[in-house]
Amino acid sequence: MINLQPYTNPRYFLIILVALLPLIIGLYFGKRFKIYEAIFSLVFLFLMFDGKDTIQGWQLIAYVIFQFIITFAYQRYRQAGKNKTWVFCLAVILAILPLTTVKIAAVVPTQVASLIGFMGVSYLTFKTVEVIMELRDGTIKKVDPITYARFLLFYPTLSSGPIDRYRRFKADCDKAPEREEYLDQLRLGTRYIFQGFLYKFIIGYVFGTIWLPQVAHAAQVLGNANGGLKISWALVAYMYCYSMYLFFDFAGYSLFAVGTSYFMGIKTPMNFNKPFISKNIKDFWNRWHMTLSFWFRDFIFMRFTFFAMKKKLIKNRIRISQVAYLVDFLIMGFWHGLTWFYIVYGIYHALAIIINDIWLRFKKKHQKQIPHNKFTQALAIFLTFNVVCFSFLIFSGFLDTLWFH
Amino acid sequence: MSNKRKLWQIFGPVICAFVLLGILFLVPWHFSGKSDSALFKASVSRSNNIFKGQEIKKAAFAKEYVPFYGSSELSRMDPMHPSVLAYKYKRDYKPFLLGGPGSQSLTHFFGMQGTSQELTDKKAVMIISPQWFTKEGQNSAAFSMYFSQLQAVDWILSAKNSEATRYAAKRLLTMPAGTADESTKSALQTLAAGKQISGQTRLLLETRQRILENEDDLFSSLNMPNNVPQIQSGAHKLPGTYAYDNLRQIALDQGAEHTTNNPFDISNSFYTHRLGEKEVARLKGSQKNFDYTKSPEYGDLELVLDQFASQHTNVLFIIPPVNSKWAKYTGLSEKMYQEATNKIVKQLSSQGFDNIVNLTKDGNKKYFMEDTIHLGWNGWLTVDQYVQPFMKQKNQPITYHMDNYYFSKAWANKTNVGPTKVSASKSN
Amino acid sequence: MDTKEAVLDILNELTGEDLSEQMDENLFDNGLLDSMATVQMLLELQEKTGITAPVSEFNRDEWATPNKIIEKVESLRNE
Repeated sequence: MINLQPYTNPRYFLIILVALLPLIIGLYFGKRFKIYEAIFSLVFLFLMFDGKDTIQGWQLIAYVIFQFIITFAYQRYRQAGKNKTWVFCLAVILAILPLTTVKIAAVVPTQVASLIGFMGVSYLTFKTVEVIMELRDGTIKKVDPITYARFLLFYPTLSSGPIDRYRRFKADCDKAPEREEYLDQLRLGTRYIFQGFLYKFIIGYVFGTIWLPQVAHAAQVLGNANGGLKISWALVAYMYCYSMYLFFDFAGYSLFAVGTSYFMGIKTPMNFNKPFISKNIKDFWNRWHMTLSFWFRDFIFMRFTFFAMKKKLIKNRIRISQVAYLVDFLIMGFWHGLTWFYIVYGIYHALAIIINDIWLRFKKKHQKQIPHNKFTQALAIFLTFNVVCFSFLIFSGFLDTLWFH
Repeated sequence: MSNKRKLWQIFGPVICAFVLLGILFLVPWHFSGKSDSALFKASVSRSNNIFKGQEIKKAAFAKEYVPFYGSSELSRMDPMHPSVLAYKYKRDYKPFLLGGPGSQSLTHFFGMQGTSQELTDKKAVMIISPQWFTKEGQNSAAFSMYFSQLQAVDWILSAKNSEATRYAAKRLLTMPAGTADESTKSALQTLAAGKQISGQTRLLLETRQRILENEDDLFSSLNMPNNVPQIQSGAHKLPGTYAYDNLRQIALDQGAEHTTNNPFDISNSFYTHRLGEKEVARLKGSQKNFDYTKSPEYGDLELVLDQFASQHTNVLFIIPPVNSKWAKYTGLSEKMYQEATNKIVKQLSSQGFDNIVNLTKDGNKKYFMEDTIHLGWNGWLTVDQYVQPFMKQKNQPITYHMDNYYFSKAWANKTNVGPTKVSASKSN
Repeated sequence: MDTKEAVLDILNELTGEDLSEQMDENLFDNGLLDSMATVQMLLELQEKTGITAPVSEFNRDEWATPNKIIEKVESLRNE
């Protein structure tokens, strides 16, 4: 049985290019072959979830049916002109129920639990929750079932994002782009895919496959020799090596997903924008895994602050933002997984951003006394980079292996 | 700008890239020109990429290099290590070290694919550790470190329907590394069923082979560990002319110098870094139930022997002992070790492989072992006493009489095999 | 109070700057507005101009400059 996991090797790109060719020619001539697109998606989804992954495939189908029931039931409720908060909350809770189950199952050490979950469940949940929230706000009045299915199961981004938004996706997928614009998308798509090759298959490979195991081994040996917290220079090397690997691997994957989307005439949003030149943590989150952080900004952070201000839960505006950051990043931590290091990673970033805010306010007040020049800017970038790399060391789970296993 | 021009600007470079890639990988280049120093560096590198590939091995075996197949003992590069001795005394053979931690018969069988032409009627040395012959046999994770698609494709394309072929195909199908590629997997299933692969599959595999060969040629020697300095520093400790008694004294001195922190005559660095007090305490009596007499490894060994037989290669087999003090401490049964050795010797000698160096009773000799189970100073020097006369023999085709019985489960599980008296000749 | 005045008032309060001379300045790029200030702005607009702008409606590109904000508020008012 052939099983094709997206973007795993260069051969995959040849296969997908050939399969997409009719669609590309159609789009070039201003036509979107929706039926061909559907067949393409179904065939490649089948190839992704067949063979040894069949059990995941069934879960995906069940998941989509479940989400359809919730979304359309809620839509009906909203169209009837009703808008009770508890119904909205119930819909959101139901929508995240499968993901919660998967995350809990991941830490339950039984045979059955290890079978629960399928590739992409984390990312699909963002899309379903977004639609429910927008139905509540009335910014989405009506969800079209076919568009919704295409949105959820959009093949290039199914497994790990970037996370698109329903209204944006709908605008793209209903029409074929102008020729001028499509040529531009083809140009960018090609560039992104080749940039992805460089990122994922070359740079990411060197950092992740060649160097990382060696550094990890050294960190373990030296750590054991040093005792205590098992800190060593090799651990520092591991931190940087892992950070580079994480970026190039994930940014490479994201470029593949965006590039492939562009070929299909869908302008999936970008995920990374030179994150390592961020001048502070806030800036970092506007550049790193952008579709995720923007999702959290729009649907957790802003909603929470809006609610807290409106209901005057907390008087102090600064306090509200601090609590909101904690909520935001804690949820992000839990979303990554129910282990101590993901949660600490979340809290760490919340604290970093709170401290950064305090500093920015201080700086604004004392603008005249604090120098601002090339050197301080470089220092800011350097500091941010190291704070971020340390957070990735926590995120990697290597400390867990080093300390507790 | 016209749209056609734009399209060409977008896809032109991509098409060019694919064409260039095609030329790079599909044309039989043989980028060779492998320099002597590159071959020497490769011969002592014990690099997995060299093991997986074949271009370097081919180039080396066509010259004065003789493969030394083995496992982790090859990395004990003290002054008496075969590579150091051959280097220092400018012997007319040079060992090419193949193997590392976890490499066993099955690994070697696939590693030998592709060099059969170069080794026909020539010599080889193989160090067989009884530790390979566990109940599970070849560990699949270790196997994947040494296995490559190139080995598989080479083997599939040269396989003829025989007991050995069917055995090897079935065995490879049990390894995750062997089934990772769909086209390899289906070819293996065909061979395991005793059928021929189709002409179309053959064509496909030949194209793959070409690509993999070029890949091997271009990339295998990149990032190769450099052990040449270690060989040179070992050679520095040796006297200018070879005299056994002198060397023996150096071996004893070196051994004494390096084994001062433990009662087992285990090298200090191994004892502190690989074992440690806690681990040593835990290991007391831990090997009481070890049994090397029943193992799928016996069948895997037969594959290697079958490969040697088909190449008419003259092979010197070395069976090393374990460190006696360590064995006593861990409770490893000497009786069991001898039974396993008997079985290995029987399998070899009954089929005509008579050059056997059985060192299994030497584990109590001073500084024979560098650590727990790996040959060291005095052990390597003893090995050299057999390697020298063996290398002096003239190259000639040897005919073996192979017996498929050794592939069977019956043999793998057979116990109470009596001793066989055969031995390779020894100098002085 | 007309929309322009109301918007500029709110922005002045939030950023501490008079933006009437920089009607096309991108307030997110130059760091004058962030998510927190945005939420506050939406709430103030709700109070002072009577529009309801849910958070989902908020798209940074459409609310990036004083002029764009005014335009957006007016279109929401006319809904």
